[in-house]
Amino acid sequence: MKAKDVMEPITETLSPETTLKEAVNRMKVARRGEGWTGVKGMIVLDDGKLAGIVSIKDILRAIIPSYMRLTELGEFTWDGMLEEMTKKVAGKKVGEVMTRDVITVSEDAPLMECADLMVKHSLQRLPVLDKDKRVVGMVYIRDLYQAIVQALLDKEGE
Amino acid sequence: MTNEAAAATQPFVMNASFWTATVIFLLAYALIVSEKVHKTVVALFGAALMLVLKILEQKEAFHVEEFGVDWNVIFLLISMMVIINLMKPTGFFEYIAIKSAKLGKGEPMRIMTIFALVTAVLSALLDNVTTVLLLAPVTLLIADALEVDPVPFLIAEALASNIGGTATLIGDPPNIMIASKAKLDFISFIYNLTPAIIVIMAAFLFVLKLIFGKRLRVKPELRQRILEMDEREAIKDPLMLKKSLFVLAIVITGFVLHGMLGYEPATVALFGAGLLLLLSGTHEPHHVLAEVEWPTIFFFMGLFIIIGGVVKVGLIKWMSIEVLALTHGNMFATSMLIMWFSAFASAFVDNIPYVATMNPLIIDMANQIWPHLQGIKLLHNPELMPLWWSLALGACLGGNGTAIGASANVIVVGLAERAGRKITFIRFMAYGMPVMILTVLLSTVYVWLRYYVLKI
Amino acid sequence: MTQVTQEAAAASQPFVMDTVFWTATTIFVLAYAVIVSEKVHKTVVALFGAALMLVLKILEQYEAFHVEELGVDWNVIFLLIGMMTIINLMRPTGFFEYIAIKSAKAGKGDPMRIMTIFALVTAVLSALLDNVTTVLLLAPVTLLIADALEVDPVPFLIVEALASNIGGTATLIGDPPNIMIASKAKLDFMDFIYNLTPVVIVLMVVLLVVVKIVFGKKLKTREELKERIMQMNEKEAIKDPLMLKKSLFVLGLVLVGFVFHGTLHLQPATVALFGAGLLLLLSGTHDPHHYLAEVEWPTIFFFIGLFILVGGVVKVGLIKLMSMKMLDLTQGNLFATSMIVMWFSAIASAIVDNIPYVATMNPLIIDMAKQMWPQEAGLALLRHPDLMPVWWSLALGACLGGNGSPIGASANVIVVGMAERAGKKISFMRFVAYGFPIMLLTVFISMIYVWLRYYVLKF
Repeated sequence: MKAKDVMEPITETLSPETTLKEAVNRMKVARRGEGWTGVKGMIVLDDGKLAGIVSIKDILRAIIPSYMRLTELGEFTWDGMLEEMTKKVAGKKVGEVMTRDVITVSEDAPLMECADLMVKHSLQRLPVLDKDKRVVGMVYIRDLYQAIVQALLDKEGE
Repeated sequence: MTNEAAAATQPFVMNASFWTATVIFLLAYALIVSEKVHKTVVALFGAALMLVLKILEQKEAFHVEEFGVDWNVIFLLISMMVIINLMKPTGFFEYIAIKSAKLGKGEPMRIMTIFALVTAVLSALLDNVTTVLLLAPVTLLIADALEVDPVPFLIAEALASNIGGTATLIGDPPNIMIASKAKLDFISFIYNLTPAIIVIMAAFLFVLKLIFGKRLRVKPELRQRILEMDEREAIKDPLMLKKSLFVLAIVITGFVLHGMLGYEPATVALFGAGLLLLLSGTHEPHHVLAEVEWPTIFFFMGLFIIIGGVVKVGLIKWMSIEVLALTHGNMFATSMLIMWFSAFASAFVDNIPYVATMNPLIIDMANQIWPHLQGIKLLHNPELMPLWWSLALGACLGGNGTAIGASANVIVVGLAERAGRKITFIRFMAYGMPVMILTVLLSTVYVWLRYYVLKI
Repeated sequence: MTQVTQEAAAASQPFVMDTVFWTATTIFVLAYAVIVSEKVHKTVVALFGAALMLVLKILEQYEAFHVEELGVDWNVIFLLIGMMTIINLMRPTGFFEYIAIKSAKAGKGDPMRIMTIFALVTAVLSALLDNVTTVLLLAPVTLLIADALEVDPVPFLIVEALASNIGGTATLIGDPPNIMIASKAKLDFMDFIYNLTPVVIVLMVVLLVVVKIVFGKKLKTREELKERIMQMNEKEAIKDPLMLKKSLFVLGLVLVGFVFHGTLHLQPATVALFGAGLLLLLSGTHDPHHYLAEVEWPTIFFFIGLFILVGGVVKVGLIKLMSMKMLDLTQGNLFATSMIVMWFSAIASAIVDNIPYVATMNPLIIDMAKQMWPQEAGLALLRHPDLMPVWWSLALGACLGGNGSPIGASANVIVVGMAERAGKKISFMRFVAYGFPIMLLTVFISMIYVWLRYYVLKF
C-alpha cells in the first residue's frame, strides 16, 4: 500500500496570521472522523501552499521559556507558572510558533517510507503532497497502525 | 672519545624513569587490550602521566617531531574527516551504492563483486570506516529486497575495505603513520603497494566467486525491486555534492603531486577541508567539527606521547636491539618477521598502537645497522624500504583476521547485529582468517620477488 | 669591516618587502577583514587563511606545527581543550545550577542582593573556569529568577556579562587573552595572581558600587514573589552527586596544580590535560565521543588558524615592521607604550574579537623588546622588568575592553543572544549604555594601578 491509500482528507487548516489563542480554539472544536472533536495538530497554509504545521508540542514549545530548554531547571518552577506563561504567548502568531521544515511524503510513497520518517523524526502525522506540491491529505500514525493490524490479521486468516 | 663510544653503545640507563615509563607504557597497552576502560581515556591519561612525571617535557610532546605528537598524522586525519563529514549529507555514498546494485542488474553475485570493488576503491581514497558505515546500510536494504542473506555481503565488504585501504597512503591509519614517520609520499605507496593490492583483490574476488557463485540465486521479480530504485533520489544536495567532488578531486590531485610539490600530506588535506568549509558557506562549523572522530584523534595523540616517553627513556631502542639479535641483521628475515608478526598482532589487537610502537622501533634498528646514515638517507635506505612495506602490508591486511581486527569489521558486525543478523566471532574468522593468510602469503611472495629477487 | 656593516644593515632591515611579504600581508589583512565583517564564519576564515599560508609555502607545515615561535601554541590549545573537557564532564552534574539557586536564596529573594551575589559568583567562576561556560550556565537561572520575581532580567544579565569579563581578567586561566599572553611571555599562574588579581578586586568593588547606585532604588519586588525563590530546593539541582564529587576533586587538584605549576615547572596545559585525563578515567565513561565532541571546536580551530596566520606574517617580517613603527611612535618610552597598549587594546577589543588582536600583539611586543634589548634573549628578554608592565597592560586592556560593546566579548554575545531568545531584546546601544562607561571606568582605574604600581612605587 502507498500513502494515498491510507491518507485521510484534510478538513481544516490554519493561516500564519492566526493567533495562538484562536488556533487553540480551532483545534479544540475541529472534527476528527465520526463523532470525535478536537485535533492535536493542523497544517498551516499560506496562499494555498504548505507553510508549516502546528502541533500541541509546538504550542508547548512556545509556552516554555527558552531558558528552560538550555538547562535542567524543571525542579525550580512554581505553581501557576505554566498558566502565567501561556497567557503571555496567547497573542503570538501561528507563523511564529509553527514547525516550518515540514517533513512530507508524496502520494506514491510506500508505507515503509512513511513509517521510517515518523519514527526517525518522532512525528505523529505526515502531510501528503501531490505532484504540484499541494497538500492532498494526511497520513497519521494510527493509519500505519491500521496497516500493521491488517497485515497481521490477514496472515492469521491464511 | 671512549666516553662517547660508551654512550653510543649504551644509549639508555635502566633507571627510575626508564622503569616508570615502561610501566606506564605496558599498563596502558594492557588496559587498551583488556577494553575495561575506553582506549582513548587510557591513552590520554597515560600521556598525561608521562608529562606530569616529566618523563617527557610538554615541549617535547608537542613540538619535537621525534618524541611527540605527529601533527602531520593528526591533521591529515582531522581534515579528511571534515571533508567526509561535509560530504556525507549530500547522499553521494548512497547514490554510488544504489547505482552499483543496479549495475549488477540485481544479480547477487555480480552485486557482491561490484560492491567489493567499490568498497576497495573508496577505502583506498577515503577512510575505511566511513566507506563501510555508508555502504553497509544500503547492502542490508538490497539483501532484504533480494531476500538473500546479507552476512556474506557484509563480510566481503569489510574484507575488501581493509584490502583496498592498504593500497594508498591515506587508505588506512597505519599507512598514514608509516608515511609520516618514514617520510614516504603518496606516489611511493601507489608504486609499491597498489600493484600488490590489485593482485590481492583479484585473488579475493576469485575466492568469493568460488565460495558464493553457486549459492546466491534470486527470483527475477525480486531483481525488479532493485532496478526500480532511482539512485538520483539519494542525492539530497546536488550543489554541495558538486562542491565536495570538486574539492575531493583537488585533494587527490594534491596527494598525487605532494611529493613533487614539497607539501606534507596534511597541508593538502587541510587546504581541502578549509576550502570545502568555505565553499559550503556554513555559519555553523561546530557540527561538522564535532562530528570528527575525536576519540580516535585523542587516542592517536595519547599514543604518540606515550610512545615518545618510552622512546626517550630507551625502551624502544632496547627492543630494537633484541629484534636485531633475533634476526642477526638479515633484512629479508626481518622483513618477513615483521610482516607475519604484524598480521597476527593486528588480527587480535588494534593496529594503531602496534604501528605507533613499530615505527620508532624500525628507525632505531636502522640507526644501529647504518650508524653513519641520517635523515632521509637513513629512512629511505633501499634495504630498509621493504621493511616499511612489510609493516604496512602486515598491519593492514592482518586486520582481516578477526571480527575485532579492524574498525571496519567492528562496524559491519555491529550493523549486522542491529539488523538482527548476528555475525559470531567464529563465523567472521571462518571467512576472515583464510583470506588474511592468503593475502599475507601473496604479499610475502610479492615482497620477496620484488625486493629480494627482481630488486625493482 | 664590510661584513660588519652588512650585518648591521641586515639587523636594521630584517625583512625584504618581496612577493612573499606582500602575499602574507594580503592573506593576513584579508582574513582579519573578513573576520571583522562576519560574512564568513571566523573559524572558516582562519582555517582557510592558514591553509593558504601553508600551500603558498609562506610557512612550512613543520614550522606551523612544530616551531614554537612561528606556529601553533599547543600550550594554549591543550589548556583550552583540557579545561573544556573538564567542564563538559562537570556540567551535567548540576553544580552550576546548584550554585545559582543557592546564591538566589542567599540573597533572600531580594533583587538587589541577588544581583550583587550573582555578579560576585560570576566573577569568581569566570576567574577559575571560562567566562562563556559561566555565563551560559548562570544566565538561564537568572532568567528564571527574574520571571519568578517579575522583574526585568536585562540589568541582571548585563551585570553578569560585565562581571564575567572583569573576573576573567584576574587569573591566567580566566580569559583566552591571558592564556595566550602567559604562554607566549612564559608567565605563570602566580604572576597573574600577584599582578592582576589585586586590581581586579578593586574593579569588582567599583562595579558593585556603581550597580548599587544605578539599580538600588529601581529593583523592588513583592514579598509573595520572594517566597517563590525561597521555596526552591537547590539540592534538587544535583543530578549526579558521585560525579560531582569526582569533578570537584579533580577541579581542586587542577587549581592546586595551577598554583604550583611555576614551582613544579609544569606547563599549564600539562596540568589541565592531567585533570581532563583523570576526570575521564574517574567518570568511567565508555563513550568519550560526547564529551570531546562538545569541546568548542570552532574556537579551538579559530586559534589554530590564527596562530598559523600570525606565524606567517611574523616570518615575513610584517610584525617586526609594525613593532618598529610602534617604537618610532613611543620613542622607547615604556610608560607611554604601556598606556598606548592598554587603551588601544581596550578600544580594539570592544569593537573586534580580542583573540586575533592578542595573537598579533604578542609577537609584536616581543619584537619590540628584541629591538630595545638586543643583547637579551629567552626568559631574560620576555620577563625583562621593564617589559612586564606592558604585558599586564595588554592583559588588562584586552580583557576589560570586552565590556565596551555587546560584541566585545563572547560572554556578552551569549547574554544578548539568550535574552533575545527569551523575548527580551538587548539593543546594541542599551548594552553600550551600561558597558562602555564601565569599560572606561575600569580601564582608567587599571591605568592608575599600572602607573602607581610599576612606575611610581615600583614593586
